Amino acid sequence: MKVFAFHRLKVYWPLYVMAIPGIVFLIVFKFIPLGGAVIAFKDYSVFQGFDDSPWVGLKHFKTLFDHPDFARVFGNTLMLGFLKLVLVFPFPVLLALMINEIRKSALKKGIQTALYIPHFLSWVIVGGILFDFFSLSGLFNIVIGWFGLEPVLAMQESDYFRPIYAISSIWRDAGWGTVVYMAAISAIDPQLYESAMIDGASKLRQVRHITFPLLLPTVLVLFLLEIGNFLDLGFDQVFNLLTPMTYSVGDILDTYVFRTGIQQAQYSFATAVGLFQSVIGFILVFVFNKLSKKVSDGGLW
Amino acid sequence: MILKKMSLLMAAGVLAISTIAGCNSSSTGDSSSSGQTSANEDGTVDIEVWGTNIGYKAITKGSKLYEFYKEKLGVGVIHPYVEWNGGTNYLNQLNLKIAANEMPDLFIPQQGIEDSLAKNGAIADLTDLLPKYAPNVWEAIPQEMWDVVKANDPTGQGKIYYIPGVVEYGRYAGMIRQDWLDKLGLTMPKTQDEYVKVLEAFRDKDPNGNGQKDELPTGGREQARWMDHLFAMYGVAMFEGYPEWDIYNGELTYSAVTPNMRAALEFAAKLYKEGLIDKESLLNTKDKWDGKIQSDKVGNYFHWVEHGNLILENLKKNTGVKANFTVLPVPEVEGYEGFYTMKRFAPPQWVIKNNKDENKLMATLKLLNNIYDKKNWKDLFLGVEGMHYELKDGKAVKLPDDKSSQENQLLNPYSTLATLDFTIGLFNSTSSKDSKWAIDQVTRNMKEAQKYAKVIAGDGMPASVYDSFPDINNRTLYVEYATKIILGQYPIEKFDEFVDKWNTSGGEEVTKRAREWYAKVQK
Amino acid sequence: MVESKRERALVTGVTIFLILFSIAAIIPLISVISTSFSSKSVVDMNLVTLWPKEFTLDSWKYIIDRPDLWRSFFLTVGTTVIGTILALLMTALFAYPLSKSEFRWGSVIMVCVVIAMIFKAPIVPYFLTVRSIGLYDNPLVLILPHILNPFNLIIMRTFFKQFPKELEEAAFLEGCGYFRMLFHFVLPLSKAVMATLALFYGVVLWNQFQHPLFFLQDTNWFPLQIKIRQFITDDSVMMAGTASTVNLNYNERTLRAATVIFAIIPIIIVYPFLQKYFVKGAMLGSVKG
Repeated sequence: MKVFAFHRLKVYWPLYVMAIPGIVFLIVFKFIPLGGAVIAFKDYSVFQGFDDSPWVGLKHFKTLFDHPDFARVFGNTLMLGFLKLVLVFPFPVLLALMINEIRKSALKKGIQTALYIPHFLSWVIVGGILFDFFSLSGLFNIVIGWFGLEPVLAMQESDYFRPIYAISSIWRDAGWGTVVYMAAISAIDPQLYESAMIDGASKLRQVRHITFPLLLPTVLVLFLLEIGNFLDLGFDQVFNLLTPMTYSVGDILDTYVFRTGIQQAQYSFATAVGLFQSVIGFILVFVFNKLSKKVSDGGLW
Repeated sequence: MILKKMSLLMAAGVLAISTIAGCNSSSTGDSSSSGQTSANEDGTVDIEVWGTNIGYKAITKGSKLYEFYKEKLGVGVIHPYVEWNGGTNYLNQLNLKIAANEMPDLFIPQQGIEDSLAKNGAIADLTDLLPKYAPNVWEAIPQEMWDVVKANDPTGQGKIYYIPGVVEYGRYAGMIRQDWLDKLGLTMPKTQDEYVKVLEAFRDKDPNGNGQKDELPTGGREQARWMDHLFAMYGVAMFEGYPEWDIYNGELTYSAVTPNMRAALEFAAKLYKEGLIDKESLLNTKDKWDGKIQSDKVGNYFHWVEHGNLILENLKKNTGVKANFTVLPVPEVEGYEGFYTMKRFAPPQWVIKNNKDENKLMATLKLLNNIYDKKNWKDLFLGVEGMHYELKDGKAVKLPDDKSSQENQLLNPYSTLATLDFTIGLFNSTSSKDSKWAIDQVTRNMKEAQKYAKVIAGDGMPASVYDSFPDINNRTLYVEYATKIILGQYPIEKFDEFVDKWNTSGGEEVTKRAREWYAKVQK
Repeated sequence: MVESKRERALVTGVTIFLILFSIAAIIPLISVISTSFSSKSVVDMNLVTLWPKEFTLDSWKYIIDRPDLWRSFFLTVGTTVIGTILALLMTALFAYPLSKSEFRWGSVIMVCVVIAMIFKAPIVPYFLTVRSIGLYDNPLVLILPHILNPFNLIIMRTFFKQFPKELEEAAFLEGCGYFRMLFHFVLPLSKAVMATLALFYGVVLWNQFQHPLFFLQDTNWFPLQIKIRQFITDDSVMMAGTASTVNLNYNERTLRAATVIFAIIPIIIVYPFLQKYFVKGAMLGSVKG
């Protein structure tokens, strides 16, 4: 056995060599700059540089937590994050399963291409489109007019913000999100389906017993990655959908920091908030990763 | 075996490329801020200047605009392309450059960065340099304004660290469709009641004559901006939709928390409810609102008077109608003194790097001196022949905007040191025959607007009074409450809640600082 | 195989739903296309919804006549292609060892990768670091920072983990080393995930604007997205005495619409070609053979 183990060790070294470029990249482009995140604990000034800027400990975090609007902003972020996870996340999976059932390849290709298109429109454009859609002369008010309802300017009503957020997320990114799942489905051995059909299994059973279980590891990984970004809701989207009238439900950490930190080049504060978001995201990933290990062989590490 | 070698080679290759690129670039990326730089062969010096650029080309060494500026102003101006993006990106890039020790020689400050620049000794003390080396600048700006700049010195030593922008006339007014008034047989309203009656007539009597009730009597844009005229009649100091500081009850106060503002919001809410304000006002972007004005739908708007010619020409192109806009006199309201806010102080225009290189420092001052020489202004406005303007029938006419061929006309003192006469003269001398009708209307309005303009007490206040209260600076609370009150989502009583919140979240402190500043300036 | 009526109805229902969804997905694009083909007056008056009004090619002519836009276009094609290839190689090279349990550093590195994904470095240190390795005002900055993305890396690793073990065992017994294993067996059979990541990396490279914004000074090296942003006027700045633009038949909004479409078209064209890699049974025959 010892001889065998020694022989295997001699064989392992290519793996370590392969990993070198990646490690170098991570160090240079990710970890060295990340070291600069220490400015969250300083009063960073571009004139004094990293070393000379004074330490202020948790001052910026305190500023964040003490702000009268923090509860609201944090609450909104949680709410939207939750919506994103529960409503928006499952959609691409469902879509992928559905697309998989389309037989005619031309139709299948057409649908897939169409579904990917919204992803390429920036949120600035999509925001503009949504504002038009909900304007007085927009499609939404025309349709509800058919039902005899009074026109509603949805973009300035806080009740509409969260549904619009969720639906626009789905509309824009669900199609794109199916890419990974389609790739995973294509890796499933067709023989499994053939034997299932011979056994008389219906389509629904096939999906339940073959497709979905084999898709699960991928779904799980993507879920974990999504959770890692739990508080990171996509500044672009919310910023372009937000109006002062919907601040009470739509103002999130990112938009708040943009107004008070980024626009005024307050790097320390902006970094502190970002750190806060990341730490929470990481804790969540850690917890769910442990849980996922119990359910399947998956998990991130 | 081969594959293994190939993979190793590739990994090495990638690293190699980066290193080579690294070696090449790091040798050229050094800053040249210390020691004496060599001047050009013709004795001129090149300096790096940063300013507003909304998409035009950069000015590089040897380019047309570079040569033009060198010839007219005696200094080589290098202006790299820095995306403006509302100032946010510009500020970011500026900070990055400072962090990398490559601050430009001359640039426009943003968001109060001039204060930290001054405190850290990064920009030059201009108190003595300007009168000595750039007398044109010194004399172009009135003494009392220099005194305010001295009072704004963050180091408290009464030094001058920036060159302020100056606007010597009132730029803003409410504009109303005179041709609609004429058509409906109405006289120009003088009081608020008359004004409301006029709005109602606009709404109901189809002045644009298309048989549809699509008129928008008045309106504004998102964040409750650009509807200043509704606030002006209550004496609320407001600049481009942002509340300002003026004297209320004998003391310098933020207009947003005064009883005047309360009354104004109540009035605006009433107008909204009765459909006299565009229902989409608070969602209107600039494009949308301008589009409505230019579709012959709006009876009364508030904006820069001198940009009226663009509106007129687009209106005519879109609908064929030659509109006639006149200045709306501030409608009188019992118990209030109305006015259109005027600020002589525009945001700080230039700061100069505290250059160790004497040549560059002198060149910068020389450049500024020549920019502020009125004799050069016409040429600076016109730019390079063939690129920015052309000669039509012997008259110089500006060419249309073309971002991919025109270099950024960075130096435009006529807009940072604006006087009524010069601006009007500029319009008249460069207008074409076709646009004369619009230009005449605009110049007429510009003169008329002066009757209602009043300089506010808070003019020239530095941004540093808002230090560590970014939300007060950003008006976050105000915008949220004002918009909801106007829409009717909040009753007017909520206003009192707003004032309390504003005061406790920093407004009180900011007010104290503002009043201290004002007292200092008064001396 | 007899399909029940219920199954047929289900499939039809699904198909209809997908078609409706697809239509909802394309409509806004059609609206943007229409805006680009409409005259400026009509757009200004907010009259364009789904179809072009006062059809004109002027906005497109303006764009197509810009040599700097084309230069930018081809430059971006180049950086996207090169960048994507490099990224795929780099990611595969890193994902493979990470997917092997015999790689001792695997778990630690994965934690680091997740950290790298979740924690974002502030702009100033990032700028200074990248600058210090010589990527300031260097066109390589359009490629190098993008060749490894933690998210994509994790996806590829997940796929590699699901690679059938029997194949690898067989190859090992024949004396195959890891490098050969990766390049001769694993990659050719991972076309689906390679196509997926090619799409992901490609789109990021094609759409990038942050890196050129901060790191490139020479506008000749500007990729497409930054060039396009130049066409969008900044509303916050007003200059006195701007020139008359009355006689032009395009304005900011029509130009913006046209440039958006201009940037999207290549992606839409490329995608169908990648689709063939998403075919079922890409691994057919490999286990048997």
